Amino acid sequence: MQVSFNINGTPQRVEVEEHTPLLWVIRDILDLKGTKFGCGKAACGACTIHVDGEAVRSCSFPVQFAEGKNITTIEGLGTGDALHPVQQAWIEEVVPQCGYCQPGFMMATAAMLEKIPNPTDEDIDNNIVNVCRCATYYRMRKAIHRAAEIKSANL
Amino acid sequence: MSQSETKEKKGFSRRKFLVRSAVGVGVLFGAGYLSRPLWRRSLAGFANSVDAFYSGDTETPPLWFEILADNTITLLSPKVEMGQGTFTSLAQMAADELEVDINQLKVVHAPTSSGNIDGFSTGGSTSVASLWVPLRELAATMREMLKNEAAKMLGTEVSALTLQNGVISGNGKSLTYGEIAKDVESWEIPDVPPLKDRSAYKYIGQPVPRVDLRDKVIGAPIFGMDAQMPDMLYGSVVRPHLIGATFVSADTSAAENMPGVVKVVVEEDFVGVVAESYQQAENAKQAIKVTWETEKNWQLADIEAMVEVGKGDPVTIQKAGSPGSILSEADVITAEYRSPIGAHAQIEPNGAVAFVDSDRATVMISTQVVSITRKEVADRLGLDVEQVDIRPTYLGGGFGRRLHTPNAVQVALLSRAVGKPVKCFFNRKEEFQNDTFRPPTHNVLKARMDENGLIQAMEHNISSGDVMFGSALIPGIAGTLLGADVGAWRGGMIQYGKIPNYQAISWRVKLPFATSWWRSLGLLANTFAIESFMDELAIKAGKDPVQFRLDQIQDDEAGHRLREVIRAAADKAGWRDGVHNGRAMGFAASTDANTPCAHVVEVSVEGDQIKVHKVTCAIDPGLAVNPDQVRAQCEGSIIMGQSAVLYEKMTVEDGELRPVIYGPYRMALMRDAPKEIDVVILENADAPGAVGEPPMGPIGAAIANAVFRLTNKRLREMPLTL
Amino acid sequence: MKKANHYYLIAMLLLGVLVFGFAYPDGQGEGSTAAPAAEAPMPAAAAFDQMMAVLTHKRCVNCHPAGDRPHQGEDSHLHHFGVQRGETGHGLAALQCSTCHQETNNNISGVPGAPHWHLAPRSMAWEGLSRTEIAASMLDPARNGGRSLEEIVHHLTEDALVLWAFEPGVDDEGNPREKPPVSKADYIQAVKDWAAAGAQIPNE
Repeated sequence: MQVSFNINGTPQRVEVEEHTPLLWVIRDILDLKGTKFGCGKAACGACTIHVDGEAVRSCSFPVQFAEGKNITTIEGLGTGDALHPVQQAWIEEVVPQCGYCQPGFMMATAAMLEKIPNPTDEDIDNNIVNVCRCATYYRMRKAIHRAAEIKSANL
Repeated sequence: MSQSETKEKKGFSRRKFLVRSAVGVGVLFGAGYLSRPLWRRSLAGFANSVDAFYSGDTETPPLWFEILADNTITLLSPKVEMGQGTFTSLAQMAADELEVDINQLKVVHAPTSSGNIDGFSTGGSTSVASLWVPLRELAATMREMLKNEAAKMLGTEVSALTLQNGVISGNGKSLTYGEIAKDVESWEIPDVPPLKDRSAYKYIGQPVPRVDLRDKVIGAPIFGMDAQMPDMLYGSVVRPHLIGATFVSADTSAAENMPGVVKVVVEEDFVGVVAESYQQAENAKQAIKVTWETEKNWQLADIEAMVEVGKGDPVTIQKAGSPGSILSEADVITAEYRSPIGAHAQIEPNGAVAFVDSDRATVMISTQVVSITRKEVADRLGLDVEQVDIRPTYLGGGFGRRLHTPNAVQVALLSRAVGKPVKCFFNRKEEFQNDTFRPPTHNVLKARMDENGLIQAMEHNISSGDVMFGSALIPGIAGTLLGADVGAWRGGMIQYGKIPNYQAISWRVKLPFATSWWRSLGLLANTFAIESFMDELAIKAGKDPVQFRLDQIQDDEAGHRLREVIRAAADKAGWRDGVHNGRAMGFAASTDANTPCAHVVEVSVEGDQIKVHKVTCAIDPGLAVNPDQVRAQCEGSIIMGQSAVLYEKMTVEDGELRPVIYGPYRMALMRDAPKEIDVVILENADAPGAVGEPPMGPIGAAIANAVFRLTNKRLREMPLTL
Repeated sequence: MKKANHYYLIAMLLLGVLVFGFAYPDGQGEGSTAAPAAEAPMPAAAAFDQMMAVLTHKRCVNCHPAGDRPHQGEDSHLHHFGVQRGETGHGLAALQCSTCHQETNNNISGVPGAPHWHLAPRSMAWEGLSRTEIAASMLDPARNGGRSLEEIVHHLTEDALVLWAFEPGVDDEGNPREKPPVSKADYIQAVKDWAAAGAQIPNE
């Protein structure tokens, strides 16, 4: 089927089987490789993107539901060359190790901060349930708090 | 290991630089290392000291640096970056001797076509340590070569030159490295210059931000999963869900006509499908009916019955005094500990992109064993290794999982069958069922105390599935050389040298599924056992567990370093025994690969939930090339260790390894991670040592020891469950 | 094992008819003999049994939890990853139900889906209740969201999320999820018949 949507501010139209996970459309058709495949079962969160501003695990999101939606991936999280506060905080706290799961965590965090600008540790624990095998959680928590600071200072 | 032995092992009497004419822009510099990489010697050294060694390619001079016209330098790393921060440390080491700004350096994975291949691997926490001397010598030599040429070009003496950020000045003029390299046709190779004193380092020892930081926060396509080639198709291989299953035959008729299918490929040992998209390949794979042959319908009880001290062949790996006779007397204290099958569960699945045409194969892959991957692909395709180029990518987690890459061979075969590049990855269920697991273990400890409450004799028996044995990484010679599985007994030696009589014995279990290297190898389970037992003995002796350990550590250099981290951790944490405000501290320490590490954990118990609030870690990795990344490795290692100790467990049901997905395979999440991790770095050695794995050692026992104080329950089986 | 469960269930249903038949007003049994079998209202007791066999099934109860966390799976374990209901039953800020669950079952990922996938409100907690307690809760406007009987019937027989139970898709390994022991058509008929007969709850 033909599906049209905006991705990172750019209109796109793809011709693809309707059940195809949006993840593979993003990665293999649109060649945006920042959204990762980890499990294909919506369990690890590595493929987290935003659909109309909400965190969505794209491996479990059939492309047919993307019609008319605004999609953001890690490549479009910042504005132009400017990094998003979450990315800035991730750099300040030197969070990534292997880095593979990090885009998913950053996307989930960015979605959370839109609704909870100053998350508590408990908010972070309950909302951010992606899996990081390098176990960078300790720094991620610091970076999430830092991102909230940067974001509120930018307002 | 003495200093002279270290020198000999890393020594190379003569090195030869190769300077090639420009390829594209820039100049390639190379050097031949280790004219004879004596496997036997290296292995024996590795086994005895777990010291790092570098085992480079010797056939062709490997390429290390590429100087580009814009005065940036590309460092081709023979070690891969899997999160451990090696690229950053190598950049620091090279920048200091090259005298360039670290931002002028770009570190990339050396493709095998560059010749810069480490025959060993990336693993065992050895990367920085093994390249500490060779890389700096290379960089310093190259710097001198550039200065020699600059002196000629500038018409002055080398001694009159000044050098800053890759710009050489003299006689009122300046030349960049890039400008010099561009015009030199024939290079003089000087003797290796003396390396800089530590005080002269600008980057080494500093918390330099990771060189891959920006790429990793913008989602740059740097991983094996992101690799692609023009005109690429997608493959999928049917992998067995049953333990010990071998491929017999396949009914591929239904798959052949499915949408997008280009070809179903049946090989002697597997069947796969190539299609136009990932999803089409996956869908078609589900339609292939495979007949597997299995030996047995394995159950967990079968496996557990195999892993028992006393079964299999014992090898004594450590002995002092006469422990056997003392431990046959009365009043011997015995305790048994167990650990389960563990999955790597790295987030990036295994896979590769390969293109094979008539006489060449190119494979882009996340691998920890670049040269083995190349050899395996070459052997199966009937090519010479020179005809195969492995292009390593960043790894989306390694942890030992990528020390076996037969999947590279499968992808290459799929590509050969269709004559186009093919990309093929495991799905998650296949990852969980075809892992090279951390083997289950059974540890039995015995001790007898003397009248002063000190240990008179101690024995550690380790039963474990294979770690090193059977691994493609270690040649068959290892068995005869070493007798016992170094990987399995890693961390299993008794480190309290003042005990007059002790021994450690390794029992080998051959399990029906692949077991292998998992971050820290045997260290996790063996230290859990020894350090839990030490706590039990301290309590029996009525002694403070920290002091109990200090009293029995020997007085040599290793003992000194271990005592120092124990004291540092206890001091920093404000160690006190007992329960305070509903929390208890737990203590444990170990030395792994010459790096001692001690943890104090603060734990509470709510219902049946064990909560780790704070970990104070003291580690002595020797010289910390990048203290921030030493901290990062400690933090990650601690939480990954906690995850294995408290939550993770693979089981066996009706012939299958299960579970097959995150969630049911419970791993530490954000909410489980300690809110405080305090890392104290000591540097009681001149050279960098292991960092990534040693902090895994003490975490299990430290938590179990704290839980005992809170509940009076001694948990001796991982995952610890109340 | 599954087969045995079904036999057990049939036995229970029969037993239910026998036992509760006595407790019901006499008139209710008569309709069934008067009308043609296919269209005849079921006896109220049988209708109640059929309805409750569905409503007490894990496909329903997993998302009517007593606490703030959904259950999942054939063994009704707590939803992995500590998933929570949030303020409106649609999840938390960055962990909405719709982060993973879309409007249809995803048979590629094995994640179930239906329109407005969410948790029943706290007042509609069924976990741990007996079938009569569940029925009472359903009829209680204080707990059922102020619904009339008609609205309840509508919800039970036409809501896409409720009826998802009969088309629950496959799990993460591609295995079909267990369906309730009554067909969708029989269930819908049973709800209507039970309501039409006065929505009475047997004493148990």
